[in-house]
Amino acid sequence: MGQHDRFDAIVAGAGHNGLTAACYLAKAGLKVLVVEKNDWIGGAAVSRSLHEGWTYSNCSYVCSLLRREIVRDLELPKYGLQVIPYEGGASFDSDGDYFAYMSDHDALRREISRHSARDADAYDRFSQTVIRQCRFIRPFLLRNAPDPTSLKPRDIGELLFLIKQAHGLGKKELGETLRFWSMSIGDFLDEHFENDLIKAHIAGAGIIGTGLGVYSPGTAYVLLHHYMGDVDGAIGAWGFARGGMGAISNALGACFEEAGGTIVTGSGVDRFLVSNGRVTGVALANGDEYHAPIVASNMDVKRTFLQHTGEQYLPGDFVKAVKRFKIRGSSGKLNIALDALPEFPAAPKGAPFLRGDLHCAESLNELERAYDDWKEGRWSQNPYFDMLIPSQIDPTMAPPGKHMMTVFVQYAPYDLEVGGVRAGTNWNGQTRGAFANCVFDKLEQACPDIRSKTVHAEVRTPWDIEQEVGLTEGNIFQGELTFDQLLFNRPVPGYAQYDTPINGMYIVGSSAHPGGGVMAAPGANAAREILRNIGRGGNMTGYAA
Amino acid sequence: MTTPNYDAIVIGAGHNGLTAAATLARKGKSVCVIEKNATAGGMARNTTFANGIQAPEIAHLLYNLHPKVKKELGLGSVRAPLEVRDLPAVSLSEDGNHAVIRNGKAELADGRPHPETAPFGELMRRLTLFAGLLGQLSTKSPPSLEDGLASLDKLTELAGLAKLGLDLKRMGKKDMREFLRVLLSNAYDLILDDLEDGPLAGALAADAVRGAFAGPRSPGTVFSLMYRLGQGGGAQLPLGGMGAVAAAFETAARAAGAEIRTGTGVARVLTENDRAAGVVLEDGTEISARAVLSNTGPMPAMILAGAEHYDVEAVRRMRNQRCKGTAAKVNLVLNSAPKFKGLSPELTAGRLLIASSATYVERAFNPAKYGEMPENPVIEAVIPSLSEPGLAKDAQHVLSAVVSSVPYALEGGWDEAARESLAAVTIATLEKYAPGIGALVSDCQVLSPACIEARTGAPGGHWHHAEMGIDQILTVRPANGMAHYRFGPEGYYLCGAGAHPGGDVTGLAGRNSALQLLKDGVI
Repeated sequence: MGQHDRFDAIVAGAGHNGLTAACYLAKAGLKVLVVEKNDWIGGAAVSRSLHEGWTYSNCSYVCSLLRREIVRDLELPKYGLQVIPYEGGASFDSDGDYFAYMSDHDALRREISRHSARDADAYDRFSQTVIRQCRFIRPFLLRNAPDPTSLKPRDIGELLFLIKQAHGLGKKELGETLRFWSMSIGDFLDEHFENDLIKAHIAGAGIIGTGLGVYSPGTAYVLLHHYMGDVDGAIGAWGFARGGMGAISNALGACFEEAGGTIVTGSGVDRFLVSNGRVTGVALANGDEYHAPIVASNMDVKRTFLQHTGEQYLPGDFVKAVKRFKIRGSSGKLNIALDALPEFPAAPKGAPFLRGDLHCAESLNELERAYDDWKEGRWSQNPYFDMLIPSQIDPTMAPPGKHMMTVFVQYAPYDLEVGGVRAGTNWNGQTRGAFANCVFDKLEQACPDIRSKTVHAEVRTPWDIEQEVGLTEGNIFQGELTFDQLLFNRPVPGYAQYDTPINGMYIVGSSAHPGGGVMAAPGANAAREILRNIGRGGNMTGYAA
Repeated sequence: MTTPNYDAIVIGAGHNGLTAAATLARKGKSVCVIEKNATAGGMARNTTFANGIQAPEIAHLLYNLHPKVKKELGLGSVRAPLEVRDLPAVSLSEDGNHAVIRNGKAELADGRPHPETAPFGELMRRLTLFAGLLGQLSTKSPPSLEDGLASLDKLTELAGLAKLGLDLKRMGKKDMREFLRVLLSNAYDLILDDLEDGPLAGALAADAVRGAFAGPRSPGTVFSLMYRLGQGGGAQLPLGGMGAVAAAFETAARAAGAEIRTGTGVARVLTENDRAAGVVLEDGTEISARAVLSNTGPMPAMILAGAEHYDVEAVRRMRNQRCKGTAAKVNLVLNSAPKFKGLSPELTAGRLLIASSATYVERAFNPAKYGEMPENPVIEAVIPSLSEPGLAKDAQHVLSAVVSSVPYALEGGWDEAARESLAAVTIATLEKYAPGIGALVSDCQVLSPACIEARTGAPGGHWHHAEMGIDQILTVRPANGMAHYRFGPEGYYLCGAGAHPGGDVTGLAGRNSALQLLKDGVI
């Protein structure tokens, strides 16, 4: 065994969380290796050139959740990360009108009044509630989830912190918070607004990436997952990473390598090596073995334990819990290269909101019906989509004068039903084409000339995302964000602090608390746990220390 | 004023109203119950068809009658006789492999052991354990979120919570973790984690959502399933029909000394200096009292007192309360006893469920979300006269069916044609399991959720007066800041299913509210 294959720690998977954990570990002085099955790093935060001259953020596509504490700690701007905020967005209806969202308060009120004077008044109350809930939950993102069954001082401390924060809300607010957390986004919006288009515009954020409908309890909370991100401190603001989402991964990669880390791409982990209940390293698909006393998996829990770890090393209850962990593919994507900017006949020429997120959903019932299709193994016949044209703001994404459009589609099932059989393998050229056609038909509601301007379109189904990125069922959050899979239940009760039943082995991906989105919090939190467990916590800098 | 004065007036003689009245009367208070219908009992009454045959008008089985209420009111004793019979649940399958649940154990209709007896038993063990734990919270006012430890009440409440925490710990780490995981989860995943999707899974899924505006995939439905299992989950058929239950509550209330006036409803609640002072009946009669309890739904209770007695927030919360009923009632008079494929006479007399899988239950709910008529509804049917032949008349039987996933706000409204179409859907669905049943039907009665609202005053025709979602239970039932039965003006209390702990014929909301009123020293 040569010197080169011994490390202090190995991270399996170069997604943004794996890289974040690797950065913190390397900066604390560990000799760290990151192994990645693809020839490129980034997992689902990548920029890829799939049509000559165009760059696609072909999985995740906007930046808002990335924790700024982490950006600061790892000095990501120094390594090329530049986030360009965008403002606004719009929903187009089938009558040729639209509802535009803008961050300027007065302009937004005027726009809402155009649809409903009552809703304009309601909006202030709505946004106050959302901001309050975001402020309440944000401190928990970068902390461990306490284990309520444990009597360890740290768990009790975390539990007390939770109680203190909750208590600090005051009696009335606490009641409202409990209610908010358990509500559906549909009911929450129905309470505030009367206009269908406005409700549909906001509701999308409650269901993106989940296997839930707008009237499923708990989706009001998912809304927070999308609102609590901050670009320059404004809650709910979004931005594009210049050069695509890969810019985040590349900055993390550069930071890691400068801290002395090693990245090996092109061959993924075949199995985690375990001996006497301790992890000893990884064996790659190409036969190479690397050894380290600490191994962190950035893969989701199902993939980590059911595919790459022998079940004989794990307690039966743990395996059972991992098997029942819900990871459901529910979204697809179209990445489109455009010859020119499409026309939006409903919108004023050059309207700034066209640079934001665009939708065509008209009512909550329409979104709920889209969910009903998904439950039956069909893609939504009238799908919801989140469409953006980042090349309007970031010219690096397309050749001069041309544009790139990203269309996130909800819902698309992983286990597509064809002839009574539900399977991911039912996604083939034909079904993929039919799915894309269905999305294009709906896109034409906003921009009728979209088909004629399209030069190239990449169709990504949950099956494709699983094959390429390794996310089970192509679920963007590495596990549903439902109550039974959040906080101390994420991913598995009793193992919510990044640890696993195997000594030295850790989970650093979005399967762990606080969950998905390009947030990097699971990776950073896991690194803190690892360093604490090996007595190196003192070497850390930044928030994690 | 010549009318007599009472310590308390109870609006509505549903079982909770009667329980509240009995509880107060037993403490020596003078109580009068006002009921707008000609008979007491609310949803637990019988109805009589043209040919004289009797049937349960709305509710038809007892699941959750609380032992404390039973004991305190003397239900089933000489004082207030009530006889019940345990019924097995039969979850029908089109292929004839019906699943039978008897005393919490699964078997097949032909007597063979069910292949999933073991996992089903383990699932039920956990759920009833958890249900029992949560049940501790049902016999008191819900824990409040108020600050400070100043009062004795507060300490008692904390002690109650501490006991709950201790019992939780005592379950052992494994069960405790499972409890915390599934508490807010959805019934569909919980059931299918352990069972194949078939009639057995369907039976549990249907029980989790009966009466609720939710499919089994909705988070929070595990809670409603546990609530349903509060007293073990077995269903009991009251002998003499549901009317016998109403009669028992009524007898108990009268025996305790409460007065019951039927036939005229309450027009409004009288207030003096922001204190409840009595009621005005629909015929103009004024009756004064020191306290008023309302067994109506929360919003109607607010309207009776006048919205001006509530702050804006409270009114908004009431307006936003979720109470869309989804259960309709169809009673079919049959010329002879129907024959279900593969069912013995004993099982035909059981609680018959049409819920062939959890997926079927979820699908059944889809149309209700959009105000559409169900195509393949979930049905809970029982033929009381098979257990009690005395109820049959001229060999005729009544099949009493609770049809789920029927929208309150039906597109186009609930007119005669819509009710006929619901009856047709019900018969067509039953026909799949009991071929020829349609030809036996000689008369039928259909109560849509809208009809149920009109008859009983339950908002939205909702069986629980308000959805038992996790955003509307415990400390936030009926709404944040209104969870302790005190409802607006001083001396005005909510005593119906819209208050903690919620629906079903438990009697607890009535009992708890009466105790809270006494504790508050109002009378």
